[in-house]
Parts: sequence; C-alpha cells; structure tokens
Amino acid sequence: MTSTQLDSLARFEAVCTDPFDLPRQAAAEGRRVAGHMCTYTPEELFYAAGMLPVRILGWTDTTQRADGLIQSYACSLARAVLDLALEGQVDFVDTMVFSHTCDTIQNLADIWRLNLPKMQVITLATPVDIGSPHAVRFYRSELGRARRQLEARVGVVAGEKIDEAIELYARHRAAMRQLYDFRRRHPGLIGASAVQTVALASFLMSKDAHLKMLETLNTELASRRAKSTAPVLPRLFVAGAACQQPDLLGVIEETGCTVVGDDLCTGERAFSMEPAEAADPLERLALMYLSRRPCASKHLAGYNYAKWLLKTAQESAADGVVLLLTKFCDPWAFEYPSLREAFEGAGIPLLLVEVEQHMPPTAQFETRVAAFAEIVGEARKEHAS
Amino acid sequence: MSDERVPIQTTQKLMRLMMEYYLGAKMAEGTEQKIAWVTSGAPVELCYAAGITPIYPENHAALCGAQKMSVELCEAAEERGFSRDVCSYARTDFGAIYTGKSPVQGLPKPDLLLCCNNICGTVTKWYQNLQRHFDVPLLFIDTPFIHDEPSREMLEYVRAQLTDTLHALEEITGKTVSPEKLHETLQLAAKATRLWGDTLDLPASKPSPMTSFDTFVHIAPIVVMRGTEKCVEYYQALLDEMRQRVEQGIAAVPGEQFRLGWDNLPVWFKMAGLSKRFSSHKACLVAATYASAWAMPIDAGASNLLEEMARAYLTVYINCGLEERSRTLQTMIDKYDLDGVVMHSDRSCKAYSFGQYELARMLREQRGTPVLVLEADMNDSRVYAEEQVNARIDAFMETLAARGKR
Repeated sequence: MTSTQLDSLARFEAVCTDPFDLPRQAAAEGRRVAGHMCTYTPEELFYAAGMLPVRILGWTDTTQRADGLIQSYACSLARAVLDLALEGQVDFVDTMVFSHTCDTIQNLADIWRLNLPKMQVITLATPVDIGSPHAVRFYRSELGRARRQLEARVGVVAGEKIDEAIELYARHRAAMRQLYDFRRRHPGLIGASAVQTVALASFLMSKDAHLKMLETLNTELASRRAKSTAPVLPRLFVAGAACQQPDLLGVIEETGCTVVGDDLCTGERAFSMEPAEAADPLERLALMYLSRRPCASKHLAGYNYAKWLLKTAQESAADGVVLLLTKFCDPWAFEYPSLREAFEGAGIPLLLVEVEQHMPPTAQFETRVAAFAEIVGEARKEHAS
Repeated sequence: MSDERVPIQTTQKLMRLMMEYYLGAKMAEGTEQKIAWVTSGAPVELCYAAGITPIYPENHAALCGAQKMSVELCEAAEERGFSRDVCSYARTDFGAIYTGKSPVQGLPKPDLLLCCNNICGTVTKWYQNLQRHFDVPLLFIDTPFIHDEPSREMLEYVRAQLTDTLHALEEITGKTVSPEKLHETLQLAAKATRLWGDTLDLPASKPSPMTSFDTFVHIAPIVVMRGTEKCVEYYQALLDEMRQRVEQGIAAVPGEQFRLGWDNLPVWFKMAGLSKRFSSHKACLVAATYASAWAMPIDAGASNLLEEMARAYLTVYINCGLEERSRTLQTMIDKYDLDGVVMHSDRSCKAYSFGQYELARMLREQRGTPVLVLEADMNDSRVYAEEQVNARIDAFMETLAARGKR
C-alpha cells in the first residue's frame, strides 16, 4: 500500500502503539492531564488551563473489572474505558471531564466518581437540543461553571489563553480536514486506516505537537499528489460513533474498496468544527460546539440524519455505505431504520455491521465486509456498463 | 385472618377510566381536536391547559406488554431495522404503528409530538423517528441531567423552553392559554400527585394494604391524566379505599412477613407471576422508585408557575445522579421499614439500570440492606429467563428468612 511508504506516518503509528505513553510522560513532567471520552468536550478550555487534553478510548482487551460495576448491555466503549481506569491504566488523569453524551455515559460519570475518588471529575451538561434558542446561553453558563471548577485547581484561566487555544485548535482542525480532503480526492495516496491512526494520535497528543507532525505529513502528501494515479476502486463511505480500530478500516480497504469519506467521531465529525466569532471566549466555544456536525445523541429540529448521510455519500460519489454500529449504542441504533429506508430508496447499498470498540476485527466482520464489497463492486460495474 | 387476597375495588373504575381515555382519544382522531403524543415524563399539564389530548406511547407499550402482545410487535419493528438492543417500549410502539395491532387497535395519529428527555435519551431518538414517520411538529424539552444540584441556569434553561412550548401549543390550536387556565390545570395536577403520594405512603403501615404490583396497575391515570378532574376523582377513590383497608387491617399479602422495595420499571409481561412468587414467600413489595416518580410535589401556588414546573420536571428521580438516587432509596428503606430491595436490571432501560450495581453496593454497605438484582426486561419476554429469575428470588427470600427477622 502506498501509505506505508509515507515517511512521516511512522511517528503517528508510534504514538498509537502505546497510546498512554505520551500522556503518562506529560503527567510525570508536571503537566496536568484532562481526560474525556467525547468530542463534544471543549478541549480548548482545558488546554488554555495548561492541561493536556486526552481522549480516552477503550485501549484494552478486557472489561472484566468493569463488568462488576456496569451491566453487560452497556456499550464496549463505556465498559472498556471504565476497566482501564479501574486497572489504574489512566492514573495519569488529573481531571476527568464528562460532557453529557447519552444515558450510558451520564451514569458512567457517577460510577466513575464513586470508584475513582482521586480524580477530579467535571461534568458538563452539554445541551441535547443543540438548536434550541436557549442552548448557547445555557451551555455558556456550563462552560463558566467548568472554568471556575478548573480555576480552583490550577489558578486563573485567562480569556486570552482560551482565545489562543481556540486559534490553535482551529488550525489543527483545518489541517485534519486537509488530510481528509487528500483522502477523498486522491484515493490511493493515503489509506483510511493510516488516516485513522493520524486522528487517533491527535487525541493522545498536545495539539501543537500533533499539528507540526500533521503539517509535515500534508506537505509530503501534496508533493506526491501529482505522481499518484487514482485507482478505480469501489468507493465506500463509513459512518457511526467511534472507530477505535484502524484495522476495521484496513479490512474494508483490503477487500479492494477505498474509503472516500466518513462520519465517525474518531474521524471527520471530530474535526468538523469551524471557529466562531464573539467577544467572550466561552461564548465562542459554546457557539462552535453547538454548531458542529451533530452526533446521533443530539437533537436538532428539522435535521434528518438519513437525508444528510445520503446527500453526503452521493456528493462523495460513494458506491456504498458501511454503518459501524457499536453494540448497545442506542443513539446510532435508532438511526438505522430510517437509513435503511433512505438508502434502499436511493439504490445505494448500505451495510450495518456491529462492532465492539475495544476488539480488533472479527472473522465475521471480515466475511460480511468482503461480501458487501462484492455487491458494491458488481453494482459499480453494472452502472459503468 | 383469612389467607384470601381481598381484591381492590377501585380496579374496576380504573378499567373504565382507561377504556374511556383510549376510546375518547380514538374518537378525536380526524376531528378538530388536536392529539399530542407525549413522553411519560413530559409536562402534560401544558397539553391539558391548551385543550390538547395527550397520548402516551409508553403507557400503550406497557399495556401491550401486560397483554402479552409486545413480542409480536417488537418483531415487527425489528423487521424494519430496529435493533433488539434498543428499548422494548419503542420497539413495541413502532410495531403497533406498522401493524395497527394492539389491545386498543393502535393509537390515534398525532398532530404533534412532545418529547422531554428527563426520563432518558432514548425518547430523543424515539421521537425523532416518530417525527420522520408522521411528519408532524416535534416540540422538544431538554432537561439537563443533574449530577449534583440543579443550578439556577438549568432551571432557567428549562423554564425558557416551557414558555416556548406553551406558545407553540397555542399556535397549533390557535387559542391562547390564559394564566388562570394554566393555574387551574396545575392545581389539579398538584392535587392528583399529592393524592397519589398519600396513597403510596400507606404501604408504610403494617400490613401493607397494597403491593407495588398494585401501584404499577394504578399508575396509568397519574401518568396520562395529570391535570384533569377525572384524575383527581380517581385517586381520591383509590386513597379512600386504601385507607379503609388499612383501618380494617386488610393485607395485600396475607400473613405479610417481609417488606421489599423495587427499583426500575415493572416487568409488564410477568406481573402476575412475580407477584405470586413474592407472595408465596409472604413478601410484599411495598415501595417502588418507579411509582413515586409521579408523586412529585408541585406547588400550584407558586408565583411563577412555569418556573415551578421546570423545577418539578427537572428533578425527577431518573434525571438525578446516583448519590441522589441512593438517598431516595435509603429514605425508602426507613420510611417503609424494608427488609430488602429488588432491583430490576432492565435491559431496555439503560438510563434507569446503569449504576444499579453501585446503588446495590451502597445499600448493602451503608445500610446492611440485602439487595437482589434481577436481569430482565420490561416488555421483551424473549430475554426473560424464568427459571433463573425464580431461583434467584427463592434464594434471596431464603437469605432474608435466615436473617430471622419478624
């Protein structure tokens, strides 16, 4: 694969090999770590407080300890991350931030507080109705509460610092979007699993450091762009909640398909935010986070995800869509009936496949994806003839 | 004392009342009368004040469950792509929509939807799906989860949305709701929740005049008719009968020896079986967090009614964190002199269930109260392991008996 020849990729891979190595080092060097699980967490605020924001995913292969504290019908992300914490794997976390996501994560926050009393826990009542005319004002007040809680621990978090963090994160997201753009426009230049590794590394690193590496990678990609000849492969779009395993996307690519776009919260959705203008930095954050591309756990009047995904898939010239459904993730499971209807109506193949966040691809996953790739490939040939 | 159970007379009234309610709503379909589908934790008083008929898909799903129709309906929803892992109420109702089947031949079509997420995030997704299906307005009330204390800003956020909701309802009906009408409706709601609360207090007497299985049956009007005269009349009758039973020493479980609490939704398709199982051990379920959820105190004399409603609806049990839930359970242990607590770990209700293991630990450690966690589901009997559940109940009751109390 072309992507393995990219010199600047190895550094991202190294970060993901031992995901908690960098955060652990940072903590040892005296930088406080703010852990979280959800991309609605306003990392800028914590970065401005001098902390290292780290998104914790289920980097473990067991949930045994967690199983005593939360039912087996909780999603694997919740169980795996709780297990890591109980095992002491994330002891480097100074402050754990729970932005309201779903029923599971909201209760997990309390289970966490009761079992891991050494960590400070900050809960953020991020609005569910992100389009409510009262949401920005309310969310702004929640951010103010979080800032006061933070300041009690680390001292004053200056407004200019928050603005600076907003600028840095905006540059970082723009660079990530550039990377996704390379993937979309030049299939074969860089693989989806490689891009996923870059994204995962960004959750584990200080964004200034990640941005530098990312700019090098983008420069390298730009220099190869002219030389790359895009192979004509079936084009797939991938959607869902988190995708912690780059190998899942790797399996999709190994079937001879190319991933041209995604709506994953470890993918393009995580970097969909545009900077907003307001005099007050917290209001800027509130505006930005409430107007980003929504997660299925949110409500937005008039928004129909099936319509959005169909339109986006068509704009990406996708031949098929894979929905990676994390087992027991209600918000995404509830999207499937209307997705199925919409894609059947449009004649675009849609594959629903259940995944466990902390588990590598199963044989069943590989079989189902391979079968789907064949269907998509056939459909593509028919269209062409 | 006789070993015969004395039936609750008011049950007859309940059947008539609910039949009238569903029939009345059905009759309204296609007329000028507006119908709203609402979530069970929504401030329904706004609908009644606006002259809109509220319909409860959740209550309807429970009815389907109790009549053992839910599996067939769930399967119909699953065929359309609903995962078996999502709420069985939602699956039951979508099944009823797709097939038209239910004990009341389905629900009348809505003119609008009113969703309040104070009970779970599932209703957010459920109502989004309803909105796409029926293509009618969806009014949404976002109630932030209370991990600690409800902040002034949270109350204001909800209050502002209630104001918007009221205006939206007025626009839909084309009629304004006078402050007097709202006050009157809220007064009726306050009366009914107080009567319901007083009724739920009575099982504190020994023996208890009713079990939680009875309260699960008699819960329907307080959920769906809060804010009406009929609701007040009904609960006055129920309270009177229960007071009489207390005076006459009528025991819901003759020879009552053990008093238990219940957490989470009922197992609708196994009400009779579970009731019998506990009775056979002379155990009476006397208190349930689920039933108390609709006994929330409402101050109808408050100067700002919408602010009062915001407070009442924001702070329901299920919208509060585990420490608050633990406090509620511990108060229940004292008030009802409980020997143990049964927690229904409800596969369909993640919001209610996650944290129960922690609550069980807290009750055991802080109060020495034995806790039984039963893995089940409120409406999907396919995931119910009858023998296992019964064996666990029997073992739990043996433990309680061995403790040698009473």
